[in-house]
Amino acid sequence: MRPATDAIQIRDLSVSYSVVADRPNAGRRTSLVRSTERRLIHALNGVSFDVAAGQVMALIGGNGAGKSTLLKTIVGVLKPVGGQIDLYGRPHLLAPGMGFNRRLSGRENVVLGGLAGGMSLDEVREKQDQIIEFADIGGFIDMPTTTYSSGMFGRLAFAVATHIDTEILLIDEALSAGDAGFRERAVAKVQEMCRAAKTIVVVSHSSTMVAEMATHAVWLHQGQVRRTGELGDVAEEYAAFQAAGGETAQMDRSIADR
Amino acid sequence: MNAPTSSPETAPVLTRRATRSGIPPLRQYLAESWRYRAFAVYWSRADVKARNFDTLFGRVWNVLNPLLFGVIYFVFVGIIAGGGLDQLDRFGFIVGNLYVWLFFNGTVTNGVGSIQSGAGGVLAQSAIPRVILPVASALSAASLFLRSLIAYVPIHFITGRGVHIEVVWLPLAFVATVMFGLGIALLLAVANVYLRDVSRLLPHLLRLWLYLSPVIWQFTRLESQGSEMVERLGRINPMYHAMVVWTVGFGGDLPGSDESVAASMLVFSVWAVGALLAGFLLFTSREDEFATRN
Repeated sequence: MRPATDAIQIRDLSVSYSVVADRPNAGRRTSLVRSTERRLIHALNGVSFDVAAGQVMALIGGNGAGKSTLLKTIVGVLKPVGGQIDLYGRPHLLAPGMGFNRRLSGRENVVLGGLAGGMSLDEVREKQDQIIEFADIGGFIDMPTTTYSSGMFGRLAFAVATHIDTEILLIDEALSAGDAGFRERAVAKVQEMCRAAKTIVVVSHSSTMVAEMATHAVWLHQGQVRRTGELGDVAEEYAAFQAAGGETAQMDRSIADR
Repeated sequence: MNAPTSSPETAPVLTRRATRSGIPPLRQYLAESWRYRAFAVYWSRADVKARNFDTLFGRVWNVLNPLLFGVIYFVFVGIIAGGGLDQLDRFGFIVGNLYVWLFFNGTVTNGVGSIQSGAGGVLAQSAIPRVILPVASALSAASLFLRSLIAYVPIHFITGRGVHIEVVWLPLAFVATVMFGLGIALLLAVANVYLRDVSRLLPHLLRLWLYLSPVIWQFTRLESQGSEMVERLGRINPMYHAMVVWTVGFGGDLPGSDESVAASMLVFSVWAVGALLAGFLLFTSREDEFATRN
């Protein structure tokens, strides 16, 4: 049962996944098969907190703290090994360029990207002109995207990603697309999304301006919640922790399983 | 995968939690997959369109490619294997069967590749049911096959194959081939996630499977081997039964053969349903790992 205001409830969440890595000193061995081992990464361990509907929550923490893993688990890319997440709305991870086929035209990629983002075909058709207008890449819209500059591609990808309506918006990747003028519009667009979406969870490094909209924060450290509360308090404590040299690379949580 | 809880008023829209069996709640999974049906259709169209976008002949290659394969194998069988180049009907037979094989081959190869490629970030950044990607690949292969029939029809008549009542088997054979190819693609896609060598082996395995199936040789040759064991072994191959149906469907009943098309259709249908079911269950039970293992 949820309190009337919660949009996300996370209870005792643990997430692990394995990666393949070369064995230490593998280069010295002479073998017919590659010398690799599978390492289990315990990315999150016993994480619990709530996000109220309408809240903008910032995730704070160093590299490897588990921020991206948490967003990927909320969106459903990764699966918990323990605990659970209850979502009172559909989540959407802002992922510019997802589902694009670089050999197709910009116009065709608007349709593909929109559908990959969970829009219905009717929604895509309804918003197509709006998206193209926002991307503002002129006649290039009907050219294959392989002919685009990286800035143009970034603008189109961003335009598609930010026209997807959602109840819970998750922002991880750095929001930088195109020139200074477009960046200004991009931030304004994300802020508009934040106002329209009921709930936002944003990784603090992704956009200073968006992170500044946050009222609350969760500080993750080595896959665990170190502190939750109002943004000012949490950020202050985190800054003091950083100043004291407490933030180091956090891969020591990974263990060699095999 | 998302597992909805059932309490009507305060129930969450989605719940993420560990599941013991690995297989997601099937009703929810299928409903979520259905939600992305338009993406599957557009992704497959994009794939078909993008294939030859930088060539002079463009989409014509989708038809030309299997036709050229047909010519190569006709020459191979005609000259190297001593079958003669004067038998037009054999050319029609080889081209028709190769179109079918390339359809099956494309369903498997592209289905495995769709998971390996990550589909433009879809695997890493969204919770789209992963089965959508091999399904989209199967749609591409089916679409290419149906287009290639445009080139086959005139060849069919020029080579004197005519129209027979057995053509009624073709729609059934088509559906069963899609199902079987998709099932094999799902099984191999999972294997390839754990062992990348599978994708390297795949072209060779498929080539071997082509030669072991009655695609460029008539299935009646299996009966004429005179060895019961060879016949039995030959019939274990599901694509043997598929090609019996396709060959007879394209060219009419073959006199002198004991093979029953209905029986072959039944055997191949059982294989198709079995492969699809096994592939789907294995695939969905493992798909949570695709994002981190890719």
